[in-house]
Order: sequence, then C-alpha cells, then structure tokens
Amino acid sequence: MNKPLMKEMHTFGEQKENQSSPSKKPTPPKPQNAITIAVSSRALFNMDREQDIYEQQGMEDYLKYQIQHEIEPFAPGPAFPFIKAVEAVNTRLRELYPDSEELFDVVLMTSNHAHVGLRLINSINHYQLFIERFCMTGGNSLIGYLKAYHANLYLSADSLKVREAIEEGIAAATVFSPGKITEVQETQLRVAFDGDAVLFSDESERIYKAHGLAKFFEHEKAHENKPLDHGPLKGFLEALGKLQQKFYAKGQRLDCPIRTYLVTARSAASSGTRALKTLRSWGLEIDEALFLAGAPKGPMLEKIRPHIFFDDQMFHVEGAAELGTVAAHVPYGIAQKFQSKTARDVKKEMPAKQLE
Amino acid sequence: MEDKKNYSGPLMIALQYNDLFDLDSTSTSTNTDVLPKGRAFTFIKAVQAVNERLVEQNKTESLLFEVILIAKECSEEIKMKIVESVKHYGLEIGKFFFYKKEELINTLQSNKVKLFLSTERDDVYEALHTGIPAALLYDQADDHVLNRLKVIFSGDVIGFSEDSLDSLSDFGFSETQIQTFKAAKICMKEFAVLIGQMRGRFGKENSPLCTCVLTSWGSRNVCASALKTLREWGVDVDEAFCLAGAPCSPILAVVKPHILWDGGLHNMRDLSTQCQ
Repeated sequence: MNKPLMKEMHTFGEQKENQSSPSKKPTPPKPQNAITIAVSSRALFNMDREQDIYEQQGMEDYLKYQIQHEIEPFAPGPAFPFIKAVEAVNTRLRELYPDSEELFDVVLMTSNHAHVGLRLINSINHYQLFIERFCMTGGNSLIGYLKAYHANLYLSADSLKVREAIEEGIAAATVFSPGKITEVQETQLRVAFDGDAVLFSDESERIYKAHGLAKFFEHEKAHENKPLDHGPLKGFLEALGKLQQKFYAKGQRLDCPIRTYLVTARSAASSGTRALKTLRSWGLEIDEALFLAGAPKGPMLEKIRPHIFFDDQMFHVEGAAELGTVAAHVPYGIAQKFQSKTARDVKKEMPAKQLE
Repeated sequence: MEDKKNYSGPLMIALQYNDLFDLDSTSTSTNTDVLPKGRAFTFIKAVQAVNERLVEQNKTESLLFEVILIAKECSEEIKMKIVESVKHYGLEIGKFFFYKKEELINTLQSNKVKLFLSTERDDVYEALHTGIPAALLYDQADDHVLNRLKVIFSGDVIGFSEDSLDSLSDFGFSETQIQTFKAAKICMKEFAVLIGQMRGRFGKENSPLCTCVLTSWGSRNVCASALKTLREWGVDVDEAFCLAGAPCSPILAVVKPHILWDGGLHNMRDLSTQCQ
C-alpha cells in the first residue's frame, strides 16, 4: 500500500471514543432480540437543500454537492430528537441490565447512494449518535432490508416508501417537520398514538365514514366488550411496554424514561371505553389516555410534548405539526381514501423521486 | 497513484466448470450432450451483459471481462460435453483448461487471472494464501435476478488496517482465518481498481455493474475507512451496508451479489450464535 490506511479509531471529525477495541464500546444487540427502529436519512437529518438540488438538477449534481460538503454535518431532522431520546433510554437500560439485549437498535435505512455515505457517517459521528448499522441501497427498495432487520418501526420522510412498508405489514410512518421548534424532554421518551387505524384497526372508522357519528357511537357502545382488531402500530406500543416493564421490575415506575399517550378523537363518556378495554385485553398499558371528543389534537399535544405523534389522518398530523409537535402519518385504513388535498399532499404528488 | 496505470484489461476471471454446469443432477446420465445450468449461470450472463454495454459505448474497449473455464480431472466424455454446452448456451468462454487436481494454483498463476471465482471455499482460501486474487461466487438461490453484475467488497478487510485485523480474534476468528483475511486484503486491490474503472464507464443510474461494500463486524468508521480507500483506488461505491455483528445471510439474501470478496469473513463465525 502506498498510503497508510486510516486507522479505524480516527475519523474526520472529533472522535472522543476509542473505537478500535471492540470491548470498550457496547456492541449492538442481535436484531431479533432488539427493538429495531429503522430511520431514513431525511427523517434523521435535514436534507431539504440537497433534496431540492436532486429534484431540480438531477442525480449527478446532487451527488457532487454531497461529496463537496462531505465534512459538513447535516442539521438535525424531524426524527432526531426521537432518536436521541431512544438512545437515552438505552443508556438507562444498560445501567440496569448490562447483559441484556432487549434494547433499542437504531438502523439508518436509506435508498441513498453510498457516495453520500461518508457525509452521513460524519454527521452521525458529529452528534455522537449510537448508530452502527446502516443500509444504503443506491436506489433499490428497502423492504427486503427492513424485514432482514426485523424492523419494529420504520420512519421516513418519503410517503411512498412508508406506504410500501405498511402494505408489507411493517409498522411505518411518514415524519413531518414541526412548524416551530419545541423543546422536548431529553431524559424521558414520550410517544403519542392516535387510536383508530393506528393502534387499532380502522373498523370503527369505517362505520363512522359510512354511517355517521351517531351510528358510530351506537356501534361502539354495543360492542364495548369486543376488542377491536389491531392496527399497524400496536406491535410498537407492545415493544415499548415490554421495555417499560423492565424499569418497573427495578422499582422505577415513577421515574420511567418511557411514557406513552393515547390521543384520540373518541370521547371518554362513550366510545372511549371500547378503546381502553381493547388495550386491556391485549395486556397493554398506556400511561395517559386523552379523549378529545373530536376537538383538535394540536393544543393537547403541545402540552404533552411527545417526541413523536402517530396519526392516520393528515388533518391531525398537520394540526399537530403546526403547533410544534413532530407528527408522523400512518397511511393505513379507510381515512386514506378521504384525505382532503392539502398543500403538503400536492407537493408530495409531484413526480420527483425521493432519494432518502 | 502510479500502480493504477499498470493495471489494465482484460479482466480475466477463472471459473470452475462444476460451478458453471450442474453435474450432480441426474440428467448428466442421459445421452444429451448438454449439461444443465449451474450456480454460475446468472453470473456469466451478467458478465456478458456488462461486456455488451462496454462494447456498445466503445467498440475498441480493452477493459472487458474475459472468462476462462477450468476443469479438474475430467473424462474425455465430460470434456466434450463441456465444450458442447458452452456452445449450446452461447457462453463467451475465452479458454478452457483441463488440469490435474494438484495443479489448480499453477494453472491460475500461469494464466494471470485477475480473479478466481468459486463456490468451493477451500479452493478460494488456498488461492488467497498463495497470493492469487480469489473470491466466493455467491450461490444465487433465485436465478430471476436482474442482469446487473453485483460485486461486494468487504469493508472489514479493506477498512481495518493490517494490524487491526488481528483484533478480529475478539470475535472468535482463528489465526488461520485472520491470515486469510490479510491475504485477501493484499490481493484485492488490482481487481478493485479494474472494477472501479469499468464502473466508471457507466453513469450513476442504469449501470449493468454495481459495486457494494459490506462491513460485517467493523464499526461505521471502519466502513467509512473502506469507502475512502476504495475512492482512492478509483472505485465509486453504489451500495453500502454496515452490520455491526448482525447476521449476514438475511442481508446477503436481499443484496444478491455475484462476487463476494471478503476472505470468508461473512461465514466463518461461531455458527451456534450468528449464522443461519
């Protein structure tokens, strides 16, 4: 070799940890034991400018730009605070259970070319994120890789990829940037879920859409004791619950670094009961259940300040984002047929392929 | 870097005949002259597709793939069948070499192959240890793959410095295995440079040739080191995967490479815990 190869412990930015010795840094858990969160590069980092270059000037210019700016880390993207909070949970879990592999595992899953790889790795180093696993597929589909990693959740800024994942039975959501920056907790991961078509199936929503509110109430009351079918994110709530139990087992219920919320348009007085009973029948706990009886979700979420909020309706996603919550759209169920076209939707339908 | 200029085509690849044709299936005993397709079939078709595109772009292109077929200890009958079958399938095989078992290394060396590709791991490792560039022909379970020729370079072998390869003993690799990785590291460069040049003949999209880096054990920075080194060698990488110890097989099943150049790193692990 003419040039000495770069030692693996040195990087392009500052590197505080000694990475050459495997025993000093915790090893990532085996995928089947961990709760794997796959995140796309544009969900994790802000790549708006680069995406514009790609859309307007094409692939070659886009890649050239990325390489030219290789040592500049990206700014954080919408899923960044969520990932940071997830890592904080891992730190607590490792303290309590040093030999356990029941941890979060964050995998960078992107259809970007490996040309962008160095800039992404530099950015991960810059923020000292614990992301050791990634797939950069150079434009190929991510589905096979999501399955190979047993992804429990896939977050992306590309709604087409998210839809594909949902259709393949993978819990997925399209992440949107909030309209304003909100401070979120660093020490407690807060995840908020809508009920119907997110945690639960869309069966009740179908009734509402087909027959109206009165019929919906009637139906829910009549079937109060019949658990709803599960929705695409039930598994993720279950995974969070499993980790919560580990903290409870060590007497840390009050101080638990994971908190879950149900934020639903159902009302406490009537249709809400079926939701709670369903969760109970699944053996799942949710820390706070907020029944809004149809009121907008944005202000409530602004109070809660979750790191992420999942909803199947763009109306709620946008309402939440406007008031500073990182909201993620779950493209599942009957509501997808009835979305009114918002400005965001129109932009998304433009033919530009998304590299992320 | 001066040595890049000394590397030139054609890119000669040696294949073993029992990878190209399936000799185990019962139809070899029938009286047809044509042998059934073997595991290397999708590979050779992909290679031919690359050559076609290269020639399309430049009729006088000298950096083309050239495939030679080597066969050990064949009966005259099999030799005939091999030649007939190659003709029958329209395969572009440059030369045939029939040799005695012990002569494998000599045969490869005297033909100056740039890559010996085989599904026989022991043959591959033996070749590496004598300084012959060798890689595993990955067994494609599904032969309805895209026509793209996919080459995987190991991010661990390239990204770890020679001294740090010793640290792989922490993951349970033996001294012999580590020596094989080191041998692979030395042999890899010329082939990588040529593949890089070939890849550069095509644009970012729609290329019949695809280069990948797979880092099985090293950290993301080992992978970054590999990407940088490959870039210095003139190889622009299309796809990159970093596994940090996760099982390889599920990922490889999705990537579906033809050539897996890692000195055996992906499979030589504690089978009871990782591999499937």
